[in-house]
Amino acid sequence: MANFILRKAESKDVSDILRLIKELAKFEEMEEQVILTEKDLLEDGFGDHPFYHCLVAEVPKEHQSSEGYTVIAFAMYYFTYDPWIGKLLYLEDFYVMQDFRGFGIGSQILKVLSETAVKTRCSSMHFIVAENNKCSIEFYKRRGAADLSYEEGWRLFAIDKEDLLKMTTK
Amino acid sequence: MPDQVLISYKELQHDGFRQNPFFQCLLAEVLEEHKSKEGHTIVGYALYYYTYSTWKGPSVYLEDLYVMPEFRGKGIGKNLLSKVAQVAKEKHCARLQMSVLDWNTPSRDFYAAKGAQDLTVSEGWHFIRFDGQALDNLANEAPKD
Repeated sequence: MANFILRKAESKDVSDILRLIKELAKFEEMEEQVILTEKDLLEDGFGDHPFYHCLVAEVPKEHQSSEGYTVIAFAMYYFTYDPWIGKLLYLEDFYVMQDFRGFGIGSQILKVLSETAVKTRCSSMHFIVAENNKCSIEFYKRRGAADLSYEEGWRLFAIDKEDLLKMTTK
Repeated sequence: MPDQVLISYKELQHDGFRQNPFFQCLLAEVLEEHKSKEGHTIVGYALYYYTYSTWKGPSVYLEDLYVMPEFRGKGIGKNLLSKVAQVAKEKHCARLQMSVLDWNTPSRDFYAAKGAQDLTVSEGWHFIRFDGQALDNLANEAPKD
């Protein structure tokens, strides 16, 4: 099985996108943290000012998954900004269903994303990976990626809603 | 790392002030009588943009936060951060994120005091980058339409 297409996600794909988001979150052992709904994804991705862009991989009906799905992989990205070098492409989520791995789908998605980055004059493509996800880290390093946390010492910080609200009421 | 700043005025102007800007910027300005030694009244800035969490929806990413050394210790940095938090609240964002270098203890302490969590330590997240030749190589291998 190596027959698949990559295409831009459409509004009709939101339920598949949410399904894949939850599968990836489950793989990261954080499934209960997904509070987004199909409605949010629709408004946020297919309205006047989309917050994200999405690519999906689809297989023909005869190769559908055991539960009957033909959309079997996705990549969600958006554009960010580095004041030193300008526009960047940030890859937020990237996932291929387990039964469809090893066929080059992930590689192909990454190549298309890189092409998008270059075409839109982005200097770089960034993303985060959990350090225990050795498989993914090796996948990216084989293709020339640099681990900036390791090489330059960058750490990711987050301030959640509760603490944000505290700052605004002072 | 000043030699790594490759951007020009023109690009900043184009990218930040178009119809769908790639970034937003808040400035801290002092009165003329308090200007810096070189005569500047703009003494601090916060540059941020909107990102998207597949778990929680729109978020804000604080890319740069800086106050000139002679104007520190007066609460300007805190005010800038609070203003960005206010923007996040108004836009119904679930969180504010930023990255800090591991040796930058004052900044790490500054954010921790406001409730920030170091996700690299607590959850093991690492920043990965593809740029230059590696990015070009990947792009060249993409299937032609």
